[in-house]
Amino acid sequence: MKKLLSLMLALAIVASCAIPAMAEDKYLGVMLGTNVMSLDTNLATDGDSFEVIADCIDGLLQMDADGAAVPAIAESYDLSDDGLTYTFHLRDAKWSNGDAVTANDFVFAWRRIAQEAGEYAYMLDEIGNIKGAAEIISKQTDDLTTLGVTAADDKTFVVELNVPVSFFPSLMYFPTFYPINEAFYNSLEEGTYGTSPETFLSNGAFVLEDYTPGTANLSVKKNPDYWDAARIQLPGIKYQVVGSSDNALTAFRTGALDVVMISGNQVAAAEKDAALSQNLKVTGAGYMWYLSFSQTDKNAQGGKLANANLRLAITNAIDRDNLVDNYVMDGSLATYTAVPPQFAASSTTGADFSADQDMFADYVGYDPEKAQAYFEKAKEELGVDTFEFTMIYGNNEGDEVAKVAQAIKEDVEDALDGLTINLQPMTKAERLDKMQNDNYDVALTRWGPDYADPMTYLGMWVTNNSNNYGFWSNAEYDQLIADCTTGAYITDYDARWDAMYKAETLVLQEAVIAPLYTKANANLITAGVEGIDFHPVALNRVYKDTVIK
Amino acid sequence: MAKKELQLQAPAAPYVPVKEDFVLLTKRDIHTDTNFASQSYWKGVFTHFFKNRRAVVGLVIITVILLLALFGPLMNGFGYRDIVQYRNEKNKRVVAKGISPQIPAIHRLLTGEEPEGNFADYTFLFGTDDLGRDLWTRTWYGARVSLLIAFVTIIIDMIIGMSYGLISGYFGGAVDQVMQRFVEIANSVPRLVIVSVLAIFMPKGMGLVIVALLLTEWIGMSKIARAEMLKIKEQEYVLASRTLGARNGHIIFKEILPNTIGPIITQVMFSIPTAIFTEAFLSFVGVGIVLPQCSVGTLIEDGFNNITTLPYQILPPIIVLALLMLGFNFIGDGLREALAPKLEDM
Amino acid sequence: MGKYVCKRLGMALLTLLIITFLLFLLVRIMPGNPFPSERMSAEQIANKRAEMGLDDPILTQFIRYMGNVLQGDFGKGTSLYNGAPIRTVLSTAISNSFRIGGVAILLGTLVGLALGITAALNKGRFLDGFCTVFSILGVCVPSYVFLIFLQYTFSFRIPFFPYFFDPTRFAFSSVIPAVSLSLFTMSTIARFTRNEMVEVFDSDYVRLAEAKGMYGRNLVMKHVLRNALIPIVTVLAPLVVDLLTGALVVEKIYGINGIGKLMVDAIAGEGIDYNYVLALGILYSALYIGIMLVVDLLYGVLDPRIRVASKGEEA
Repeated sequence: MKKLLSLMLALAIVASCAIPAMAEDKYLGVMLGTNVMSLDTNLATDGDSFEVIADCIDGLLQMDADGAAVPAIAESYDLSDDGLTYTFHLRDAKWSNGDAVTANDFVFAWRRIAQEAGEYAYMLDEIGNIKGAAEIISKQTDDLTTLGVTAADDKTFVVELNVPVSFFPSLMYFPTFYPINEAFYNSLEEGTYGTSPETFLSNGAFVLEDYTPGTANLSVKKNPDYWDAARIQLPGIKYQVVGSSDNALTAFRTGALDVVMISGNQVAAAEKDAALSQNLKVTGAGYMWYLSFSQTDKNAQGGKLANANLRLAITNAIDRDNLVDNYVMDGSLATYTAVPPQFAASSTTGADFSADQDMFADYVGYDPEKAQAYFEKAKEELGVDTFEFTMIYGNNEGDEVAKVAQAIKEDVEDALDGLTINLQPMTKAERLDKMQNDNYDVALTRWGPDYADPMTYLGMWVTNNSNNYGFWSNAEYDQLIADCTTGAYITDYDARWDAMYKAETLVLQEAVIAPLYTKANANLITAGVEGIDFHPVALNRVYKDTVIK
Repeated sequence: MAKKELQLQAPAAPYVPVKEDFVLLTKRDIHTDTNFASQSYWKGVFTHFFKNRRAVVGLVIITVILLLALFGPLMNGFGYRDIVQYRNEKNKRVVAKGISPQIPAIHRLLTGEEPEGNFADYTFLFGTDDLGRDLWTRTWYGARVSLLIAFVTIIIDMIIGMSYGLISGYFGGAVDQVMQRFVEIANSVPRLVIVSVLAIFMPKGMGLVIVALLLTEWIGMSKIARAEMLKIKEQEYVLASRTLGARNGHIIFKEILPNTIGPIITQVMFSIPTAIFTEAFLSFVGVGIVLPQCSVGTLIEDGFNNITTLPYQILPPIIVLALLMLGFNFIGDGLREALAPKLEDM
Repeated sequence: MGKYVCKRLGMALLTLLIITFLLFLLVRIMPGNPFPSERMSAEQIANKRAEMGLDDPILTQFIRYMGNVLQGDFGKGTSLYNGAPIRTVLSTAISNSFRIGGVAILLGTLVGLALGITAALNKGRFLDGFCTVFSILGVCVPSYVFLIFLQYTFSFRIPFFPYFFDPTRFAFSSVIPAVSLSLFTMSTIARFTRNEMVEVFDSDYVRLAEAKGMYGRNLVMKHVLRNALIPIVTVLAPLVVDLLTGALVVEKIYGINGIGKLMVDAIAGEGIDYNYVLALGILYSALYIGIMLVVDLLYGVLDPRIRVASKGEEA
């Protein structure tokens, strides 16, 4: 045994000497949390897929370090006076097969999104309000030319909207709006687009080097023909899917990866380590975790949760600081607003929509006595003393979710005598299925912003919206949101902003949801790696300015 | 040499062989049977079992684990779901999470000083988990669930698995064909699929876990029993028994079963950890026990998630499981030797 | 024998058809959705279902599916790698899992046999005790814990093996997962071999062989091991199927694109991917049925007295 060990050791020493000093064009090693599900903009739905797509393809506009929309394939754009027509002027850019990027590539890609009517098709109709999109998506017409997008010439792309959309330019960096080379797409066998480097074209900073569907490691390399090639410093990126954050920490320490994401327990360990704590960087992940309450008669003991006081009792019994400090521990922010902080800033004042977290302190907070008072009122109104609800949560949605669920159960049962919460884990898919079919009491759920406007959250609680999982309905609220999206306030930026605060108040004073925390990502980044742009919206990581020093 | 002397004696007295007349070629020891003949079968089994030192050690280990599972969670002030915490002067909660095993009494004894720091004066024999709950309590609480799973598995294996395999092997031919094709079907539907469907019709929890085990856990055992049956049924004594008019049931369970006991006991032992991990998997996907309840299997999985940052967390449940297995194996070996009279240890 | 094998193969196809149909039904009953979505309207989802033919009568769907499968087309995923044909995704996963699993089987069986024989020959002594403890730990400690331990020791502390699986250095980077996967098999085989051999040593015919003056390797290999092999082959068979079809956590931790992870992603990932569950189910069942047939044939080879086939079929 000893002989074997010393032999191993000798081998190890030889091996470590044999590895030469890192070659100059070292790729950046980056961890992905999940497999890249698809490189097709029509089919991709997860952040990791979006990240890799955005490495390789540029849209009309791109994000700068602060998340503002700045020119990419479009050199500039004009907006008509009525706010309904955007005209984008394209620069000379090339696909990786040498073809020029033309306005038609956008027309083709956008029409395809509307026709296929997939997950993110709603960016075209509900969010972007593009003319004709809703009709195609709902299959009322199959005439794709009715979509309000046209190629005036090779370099001019025109989009027509139904109503002015103040944040429309910021949608243009979202992968759903990226172009696809039509001739190339049509030359491929059906169903093979984006399944290998040979079946994927790039017009962006990197080209796909190594990828098969389902792979745990893929790589992209610098695109020498990129229109802005001088800006790109990295020779390439090597992605590795890492299934556990515990393993991510060790992988980082071995040097196998330069950028990893870790969760609570590993953050606590890294903070204790002087060297590692230097590498720690917390960035906003954007999405907010909250409790959704079913308010129909079907559930929750015949609709007991339709009682606003009962919901207020629960939301005031949860110690959110305790959740983030002791259980989530990755820099996530305790949240007391229905629109989470740090993703939507006013374009007139630059102020964060939810900077003031004490705005709704009357309704959301941690105050066991107040919770108890609400609870007494609820008991009186409902004529019942004991309640038993089941809380569903996903077992594949992150390390901290089960911990958070247990901490909430302890807090609520502690503060409200007579209320029991049973925990029920399930897959995220099953949780969504139960919520969409109104077959649950309480759910621990989350929502991430798709675009940088508070409406990405507030739009959810409109009567009959598919994300209104509580089945709450309020005429005043519906009117306010309608005014903000298609009505009176669409041209008056500040009035719209105020109306949205009013709407948010309505949601929170009835505790339609109980906001919990806004997720952050705790990243470890190798010393010397600089210039990775982290964003809470659309693209989580952008490497266009990244350098390895 | 004794032989020669004897030959000289008078031929009238018949020769009585003595023990020294026979010498074994091999060097292995062979014990002679001292008490088997004089006792009834079950009394013999009993005596042999308790004479076997390892078997008794096994019994003691299992008893101790059983007792700890029953009383361990009561031995300190913590409940299995109690989070140990207090509020500091800033009204922030301080939680006793991720504390490695500590015994302040020993600290005092060694250093003569009071231990310092948050929660330093609490005794956590196994430490605390990442929610701030005492792992001693949780380990023994979890052992209850896993012991139940272990016993259920033994019963499923011994009743369903064994009978199924023996019958399939004994009758052979068409009966065997049909029974084996059924096994193939039962084994091929992924457990997660069948359990998710079952969960629509019955409440989630331990009951569902046991049903899930009932569906497939016996297959391994049935294969072993069938293989043994195929091997043994061609032997002469079976033929003799059949010729004498014994009924099939008698031949299968009375004549052949005792001769297949060795591999059957080994299989029972080795299916226990698999069943315990199956329960943990089912609980993780949400059809078994739910948090904050726990089992040895789920504790091992929790420990694994933090294995490099809180490495002490995975040790207690793994040690309990290993001891449980060691105990069961010792008992199994003891039973095997006591039940099969042909073994040399008799 | 040939007739028997033909008959068994025919039965196997029928069994496979029954299993596929059963799975076909069950995945449709399972809670969850083949098109998980938070942004599509109910109408959009209904359109998607109709496009996939999920609203047709179940038998029509099944016949259409089987027709495609017979042409080698397993369709494509609905929520998993949804652009790519399942065949392409599966072929890489099969190649990875089969190769790593194959090494694990060989390693586990050979070392397990050696350990078991050593323990049996040294019954009651130290080596026997060591073997007992080894096999108990081997089945109590999950393979992924061994994996983390090996990874930590031989990729981090002593950086010899790659930290993650690297398809371009296949052999080198599959050492750690193969070794960790082999330990359960190794322990089980060691324990069964040991117990079986101890028992066979005491049987009448070994006594007879010993009485005839046979001993040493000749005795162990010719008489004892051969007779002990029947239960060993029986326990090994399902382990072979399990190892070939991959192990979820090991694949996830070591970054292997394999069958085990694919299966769990298909059932409990973003949504239930009907086509993946079916394709993987057919693969698993075919393997299982095939290996069980091989085992039944092996019985006859190991012990000529055993006849699995009934009398008429032997010719």
